[in-house]
Amino acid sequence: MSGLAGQLAIMHETLGSLALAAGDAAHAQPRFGTGVGAKFDVPRLFGLIPFIPLLACALCGLCAAMKVKTKLPAAITVGCLLASFGLTIGLYAQVHANPGDFAIIHAFEWINFQWGQSEAQSLTANFSFYADSLTALWMLFVTGLATLIALYASEYMSHDVGQGYCRFFMAFSLFVFSMACLVMGDNLALLFLGWEGVGLCSYLLIGYFYKKPSAVAAAKKAFVVNRIGDLGLSLGVMLAFVQFGSLEYAEIFRKAEPFLALARDGQWQDIPWTVQLIPILLTIGAFGKSAQLPLYVWLPDAMEGPTPVSALIHAATMVTAGVYLVARMFPLFLVSEHALTIVAWGGALTALLAATIGMAQFDIKRIMAYSTVSQLGYMFCGLGVMGVMGGPAHVFTHAFFKAMLFLACGAVMHGFAGQLDLRKLSGLGKMPGWRIVTVAMFVGCINLAGVPFITAGFYSKDTILGDAFANPAMVPIGWILLITAGLTAYYTFRVFFRVFVGPAYYEPGDELHAHDDHSHDHAHANKDHGHDSHGHGHSAWQPHPPGWAINTVLILLTILSFAAIVTVFKADGWLYRMVTNSSAGAGIAADHHHKFFGFDAHAAMKVVSGIVAIAGIAVAFVLHYSGRTSAATSKADSLVPMLGPIPRWAQNKWYVDEFYHFLFVRPLWLLSVVFAAIDKVLVDGLVNVFGWVPKALAKTARPLQNGVLHDYALRMAGGVALLLLIIVLMVNRGDRTSAAASIPPTDNSIGTLPAAPAAVDPIAVSLDPIRAKAQEAVR
Amino acid sequence: MPTAPITLAATDLSSYLPILILVGMAVTFGVFNVVASNLLGPSRTGKVKEKTYESGMDTIGSAHKRFNVRFYIIAMVFLVFDIEIIFLYPWAVTFPNIDQSTPDALLWLGRILFFVFTTVVAYVYGVRKGVFRFD
Amino acid sequence: MNNVIAQLWPEIALFVTTCLVMVVGLSKDRGTRKLCAPISAIGIIVAGYLAATTSVDTATTLPFMAKYGKVLAAGVGLLLLMLMAGTADRQLEDAVDRGEKFEPLRSTRAEFYAFFLFSLMGLMLCAGASDLIFLFLALELTSLPTYVMVALSTRRDRSMEAGVKYFFLGAMGAAMFLFGFALIYGATGSTALADVAYTIQNRAAGTGSIGPLALTGLVLSLLGVMFKIAAVPMHFYTADVYQGAASSVTAFLAFVPKCAGFFAIMLLVGCAGWAFGPDGYGSGTALPPELRILLWTIAVLTMTVGNVLALLQTSVKRILAYSSIAHSGYMLVGVIAGPGPAESTLASNGLAAVLFYLLTYGVMSVGTFSVVAALERRRRATAADAAIDEVDHIDELRGLWKRQPHLAAVMVICALGLLGLPPLLGFLGKLPLFTSALGAGEIVLVVILGLNSAIAAAYYLRLVSVPFLESGEPSTPDAVVPTPFPSRALAGVVAAVLVVVAGLAGGTLGSHAERAGTFRFPTKTMEATRHASQPTSTVSVPPDAAERGPNAR
Repeated sequence: MSGLAGQLAIMHETLGSLALAAGDAAHAQPRFGTGVGAKFDVPRLFGLIPFIPLLACALCGLCAAMKVKTKLPAAITVGCLLASFGLTIGLYAQVHANPGDFAIIHAFEWINFQWGQSEAQSLTANFSFYADSLTALWMLFVTGLATLIALYASEYMSHDVGQGYCRFFMAFSLFVFSMACLVMGDNLALLFLGWEGVGLCSYLLIGYFYKKPSAVAAAKKAFVVNRIGDLGLSLGVMLAFVQFGSLEYAEIFRKAEPFLALARDGQWQDIPWTVQLIPILLTIGAFGKSAQLPLYVWLPDAMEGPTPVSALIHAATMVTAGVYLVARMFPLFLVSEHALTIVAWGGALTALLAATIGMAQFDIKRIMAYSTVSQLGYMFCGLGVMGVMGGPAHVFTHAFFKAMLFLACGAVMHGFAGQLDLRKLSGLGKMPGWRIVTVAMFVGCINLAGVPFITAGFYSKDTILGDAFANPAMVPIGWILLITAGLTAYYTFRVFFRVFVGPAYYEPGDELHAHDDHSHDHAHANKDHGHDSHGHGHSAWQPHPPGWAINTVLILLTILSFAAIVTVFKADGWLYRMVTNSSAGAGIAADHHHKFFGFDAHAAMKVVSGIVAIAGIAVAFVLHYSGRTSAATSKADSLVPMLGPIPRWAQNKWYVDEFYHFLFVRPLWLLSVVFAAIDKVLVDGLVNVFGWVPKALAKTARPLQNGVLHDYALRMAGGVALLLLIIVLMVNRGDRTSAAASIPPTDNSIGTLPAAPAAVDPIAVSLDPIRAKAQEAVR
Repeated sequence: MPTAPITLAATDLSSYLPILILVGMAVTFGVFNVVASNLLGPSRTGKVKEKTYESGMDTIGSAHKRFNVRFYIIAMVFLVFDIEIIFLYPWAVTFPNIDQSTPDALLWLGRILFFVFTTVVAYVYGVRKGVFRFD
Repeated sequence: MNNVIAQLWPEIALFVTTCLVMVVGLSKDRGTRKLCAPISAIGIIVAGYLAATTSVDTATTLPFMAKYGKVLAAGVGLLLLMLMAGTADRQLEDAVDRGEKFEPLRSTRAEFYAFFLFSLMGLMLCAGASDLIFLFLALELTSLPTYVMVALSTRRDRSMEAGVKYFFLGAMGAAMFLFGFALIYGATGSTALADVAYTIQNRAAGTGSIGPLALTGLVLSLLGVMFKIAAVPMHFYTADVYQGAASSVTAFLAFVPKCAGFFAIMLLVGCAGWAFGPDGYGSGTALPPELRILLWTIAVLTMTVGNVLALLQTSVKRILAYSSIAHSGYMLVGVIAGPGPAESTLASNGLAAVLFYLLTYGVMSVGTFSVVAALERRRRATAADAAIDEVDHIDELRGLWKRQPHLAAVMVICALGLLGLPPLLGFLGKLPLFTSALGAGEIVLVVILGLNSAIAAAYYLRLVSVPFLESGEPSTPDAVVPTPFPSRALAGVVAAVLVVVAGLAGGTLGSHAERAGTFRFPTKTMEATRHASQPTSTVSVPPDAAERGPNAR
């Protein structure tokens, strides 16, 4: 627990010297506690950001209904997303002008329950959007990348024009809407709606090729695994509501402040354990959505979806929702003793595990998938070690280059009839028309590997590493991450050296053994892409290089990946301000005092991680490029036997899936058999009784409805008489018992009216004016 | 709590005295007429006297005979105007007593015009329905 | 008096429309005759607009109900109007199309639309009633046209029979509540609802009970009004009448008289107030024990009888008729729960819950009926108009999904909505009923309500599954085809969309209902203001002047 004490010391310092930290950052305003500033107003127009994609979704649905056979849905989607992106830039301008503050854009009333008088006995969750710099940061890359990827998909999905095309863009737009709700919502309920929405869209899009059993299985797996995470999230949301009486961020942060003060002083025992439990539950949700240990297993399988989907949802945006949740709720994580430690260790272990698996895969898209899992681990570490800025910064830079990597892989897959095996492709850069893809891939790879000084990925990764080593409690994590960085560089360039350079060779894919999304669909003999109709293996088959849309998007993303350097180049640069000017800024580490072998951790990491990255690339160069003469073999093959069974285990993903199957799926299946039996005998029997009773009643009551008018009248009159009798009996009994004593003898002149107190005589009061009026009229 | 029975009867029913008197008068009038004509009038009867119209013509066939529904419709159109008169008359009597310079007077006029308008609608409806055509 | 007129502008607008429709509908020119429906629509929209912009509140214990009720009547009325297309005199118009001469005496178009508007007008008047006589006339203005509409709706004898049954039994109900009104007047010396409430509750404050005469009056009038909402024991007519009338008219019957009945019930029960507790008046938020027992019994019997009898039906219209009975039972729960403590919200105010439920029920029932109304059975052998019949048996909806997917979807959405499945509108409507009853401590009632909702699932799910899951052609020898009136299907689609959309974003509607359900204890302030104008007039009392709560006096 000494590590913990150290962490406490840091935190104490952190929270105590927040004003100082703000002074350092030129544009940040002084902030205290939760890091939430004042409220400012923005035009309601920006509330449209999520709804424009929703409109696109509706229009695509309309296209589907009208059986549109053109690329119209793509045009609609790209246009709407572009409009949404434009508005987001406007919102960013507003947020930028009010650093440190937040705005709430009210769209409409959504959930509003009240079950009592006090304010606490109400549940309010409006369709309102919370706009601060963190929201703006996330929305910028969500809408921006969505626009680009929709453009890419317009070409990529062109073989499917028709119903499928509409369906794809419907789900795509719906995803952006859900993601915007998730990111922009000003309360946890809206976040949850978005959370489930993106989960649904992810499910729909993974299972897009629903005729392929593996795609359906992958979609199901993603959905089920995410449910486990969602359970944690929903429990966390409920607990937060119970604890803070509200779901709105502003309110929660306000009410968390006293706990934050306690946490600053290290008085954990004074913070109720229920409060400390909230962030842990939220972490479970975040780990599910962001594919962290132990819930990461769905993401690699999710690559069954079309590549644009993998790029947008499963690399750039949706999977970062967990990171966003942690960043957004950072003040709550600070009041829990163990939550951040869990986040950091979960992230670190995932990063390492996924990297080792990635090293041994042959499917390039899967390698990218495992690299995504690994990089997400990095992001969680960035938050978990209390560096704050590193996590969101890496999300931002990673979004661009990872989307680009996926899109480049997608282009390869598109061009080679679904071929993704790195043993069957080689030297693509030498083939005509593949130059742009190769360049994009190269830029993506150096970013992912973290080549020093010229890549954005280097700076953001470096921040995380530095933060980890600067926090004395987190040094082990720093080492794990450093090792992972080396592995990352290796497996990234393994792909590049095998596929894009070296001797030119290709084998077209086929739907039987490759993880091919659409060669299946290519079989529908599309006129433009008629390669499969010739049958592969024929000398006539030619790979077809990507068209203008894919190339444009790749070029733009290449530029953006480099442009992102500007945002992270300086330690207190644009990204730093974007992150720290929000609720995530609550735990800014003001002064890193732990040294890395006597050097400042951040400065040292710039050198060390750079060396590690170059070393990883060098190893890949030696093993997979130098002297390689064929696509299928490399020098690495000779090393494999030396490592014993380890490479095989890694290739089989450490048998985690099998382990889960043995540990959870099997017992659950057995349990379900038992329950099914119980259900049939006991529950069904009981239900049948419940079904039988009303039916018996009905058979009794039915003859009363005989359709004869006078019988009806008789029954009505009888019923009325019966009810009157009940009332009369009640009144009589009431008279005899309680009321009898208090009611005086009544006047029988008209009815049997009980008397009113003479002093009040309300009847006289009420009747007097009437009587007066009547007399007036008579006169 | 000191309570005293109150008698609603006295307060309530006193205002109904005129109605009671009216009812009494109506009953008396009816009973008186029937009884008086029985007592005072001569009573002669015979076969011819008991014929339906005393016109000397024998009645032919059953009275339960179908005839054109238009007679009913005419009767209902008559009712429209009948009720119109019933409402218009007291209005016309009261209207001169209202100070014509106040907005109240205008309101009164407006109301009765609205009422007349409804009658006109009923009339137009009748005409369009073809009530007054006997072809 | 000007206040009264200011409050009646929506009704006046409807009346003028009615006059126009009566004349236009008898035109010799076919095109002009066809204008009836658009003119009615414009009239209803104008009335709704006027109601929404009028800010005069009635001098009753439910001062803000009038506005809500009138807008509700206009809104659902518009949907119903779309459903009415072609109901009135289809055969006759078809005959004219074939070249026969137009006979105004045989045409029923003008009367049908006029009666439709009259009935809506009656409903609006009900919502704004501030006097017993006013209320009686309004209730009868709502009902009388419906008797004729039922009889006119189809050319079959069954409609005539239904009309006659409905009329006679309705007259019996009317007689009953008129008698009750007379007794109430006898007990309080006033017909103005504000006065009645003030007198009764003052007396209750003094003596601890509302008095036998007032009680008898209230009980009788409530029992009479139960006819309008088709509650036990006045429910016997429902299934026969609903089945006998044309589907569109049935939809009308399921909403308009029921709505009027509930307005009347809330106004009448409001006279006795919800201020009774274990220690008599002023010690709680319950109805007088006698009234509570009465309504409790009726509510339980109504929902149980409705749901249970619906189980065995094979006719869609009869199923919906019994479901309509059951829903009346549900809503009575809200009336029993009452307005709850002062400053209560939709979740704790039973009256607001009822008002909101009326809206949800109206939309959903229009949706379900529209599916039946938008289909017709055509004998395969002939194409003559006599061979066209209404769709009624549930088997005739079999496989609807394949042939008319939009209608099947409407049926599914609306039936699930009636079942109260989240997140549809029906769930949003049912929730406040549950919460308000829980808040009022009516645990047993809530349990019975829950059990009944479960029973109801059996037949609603049948309505869902038959068009959707069971494939194949209907087992009848006739072809089930859509009617040539697209507006009927459109009404259904609009209703279904509302059920979904309003279910997701019903907060705004709920807040309107919440305001409309505001219960105000009769106070002296109201009394004084009332007498400043005229005995039967309506006035607006500034909210701050209206004291609240039983302890306010």
